[in-house]
Amino acid sequence: MARILIIDDDPDIVEAMRVVLESRGHKIVSAKSGAEGLKKVKLESPDLVILDVMMETMDKGFEVAREIKSDKGSKDVPILMLTAIKDKIGMDFKKEAGDETWLPVDDYVEKPLKPQELLEKVEKLLKTI
Amino acid sequence: MKYEGLLERINWLIRLRWIALTGVILTVFVVQKVVRLSLPFFPLYLIPILIGLYNSAFFLYTRHIWKKQPEDIETRAIVFANLQIGLDLLSLTALIHFSGGIENPFIFYFIFHMIIASILLSRRASFLQATFTACLFVSMAGLEYFNILGHHCLKGFVVNDLYMNKVYILGTSFVFITTLYLAAYMASSISVKLRLREKSLKEANLLLEEKDRIKSEYVLRVTHDIKEHISAIQSCIDPVAEGMLGELNPGQKDLIRRAGTRTSKLIFFIKALLEITRIKLSRDIEMKDFSIVKTAENAIILVDPRAKAKSIYMSRRIDAGVDIIKGAQVYIEETIANLLANSVKYTPKGGKVEITIEDKDGSVLIRISDNGIGIPKKELPYIFNEFYRASNAKELERDGTGLGLSMAKQVVERHNGRIWVDSEEGRGSTFSIMLPKK
Repeated sequence: MARILIIDDDPDIVEAMRVVLESRGHKIVSAKSGAEGLKKVKLESPDLVILDVMMETMDKGFEVAREIKSDKGSKDVPILMLTAIKDKIGMDFKKEAGDETWLPVDDYVEKPLKPQELLEKVEKLLKTI
Repeated sequence: MKYEGLLERINWLIRLRWIALTGVILTVFVVQKVVRLSLPFFPLYLIPILIGLYNSAFFLYTRHIWKKQPEDIETRAIVFANLQIGLDLLSLTALIHFSGGIENPFIFYFIFHMIIASILLSRRASFLQATFTACLFVSMAGLEYFNILGHHCLKGFVVNDLYMNKVYILGTSFVFITTLYLAAYMASSISVKLRLREKSLKEANLLLEEKDRIKSEYVLRVTHDIKEHISAIQSCIDPVAEGMLGELNPGQKDLIRRAGTRTSKLIFFIKALLEITRIKLSRDIEMKDFSIVKTAENAIILVDPRAKAKSIYMSRRIDAGVDIIKGAQVYIEETIANLLANSVKYTPKGGKVEITIEDKDGSVLIRISDNGIGIPKKELPYIFNEFYRASNAKELERDGTGLGLSMAKQVVERHNGRIWVDSEEGRGSTFSIMLPKK
């Protein structure tokens, strides 16, 4: 049982994921924007962050991910990125911090994701902590 | 880009000049050996040789400015065209002078030069060239008349001393000069109209391209919005269908399952539409070196479970020579996977699907063939069109976006490649892709 923060500006998606994750007994916290998400990362100290890439802007999610991973208090929190663009964006998940295409997420998955797929990805990431 | 057309026409003139000078040499030869007129044959052979020399120089110069593309290329091309026509006029006058002057009926060949001038130049410039021709002609006739320039008689062809007959000179000059101007006028009227038409066609084409782009952007926006909503719907349906909010009764389960299936089909369609629109809109896709063999293997692995489920035997034959090519790997992999998946989909249980990759000087040829249902002959021209699905394919499989093949075509053409199909209904299809290596 883990504490999971979902940062997504689509309330319906958040609710759907909440149902899926709560069915396994996880505790869900949610945030509607990048800024609120960053605040809740500090406040709630989640075990895992699920982050939507497209919020206020096309790539707000990248910015938020970089901030979470640059902060000492949260740099070890795994991030699962929700994205529709996958590998066609020229981003490299393995590059060093500071690099322009640095994408510090631990895993990513395309929307809409099947409940089983979401659960598998989450379990896998939680095992790494 | 006005000069592009002009340079093209100059090239045409240079080719034409080779033919003309061959004709001159042949005519002079026939006059000398067959008709046996006595004329100064040395200059008559020398002049076409000189024409050959300046034509070679023109040929080299055209290639040079086409490669270099200097800033003043348009002015240069215009001056160049005028110079060529002027030199041609001088050469023809010299030829005529050495072969009977005003008595030579070949004087009317100047009309061709007027037509050429009208095709290459503006109306004003072609009238100037006509005036230049008239001056050359009158000077030649006058100089011969006053015996300043020697006259070479066409003995045995025309009555002697016509060149000294005032009435003949005036009459011929009048007819000749009016013919020149009329020819220039008529030919330039036609070519000006043609050029205007060409220009408006080009503009219309650009406008259409722009409209098509706007349409694609619109499609992209709308599809994107629809996808957001439909994704949320799917995300809400799935946990209910899987009983995460409590067991459903059989009726609820059935209906929610139906809703879920339809939503996933819609999402599949929307994704395909998004992808094809994106590639249409992207001005350049990133090209990198990649292994076509590995890419094909990836595609095979992707489709393999579907083939196994239908006990379809999937084989491959890959030339040892082929490997690295330049392109957008993700798109090529998807294209191959798409074609393989199509083959598997439209081949009955126990059938065969084969992929071959061969080296074809500078290109790779990828063929995906099956012994499936094939494509009706009269539908072959349409199968790469967006949303088109062959009638027998629709019969066999109700669902399908009709976008797979048009996507493949987009991708291949973006790589300056070619895609085509050979098929016979009931016997199978072969899709071929030719991709340049670099």
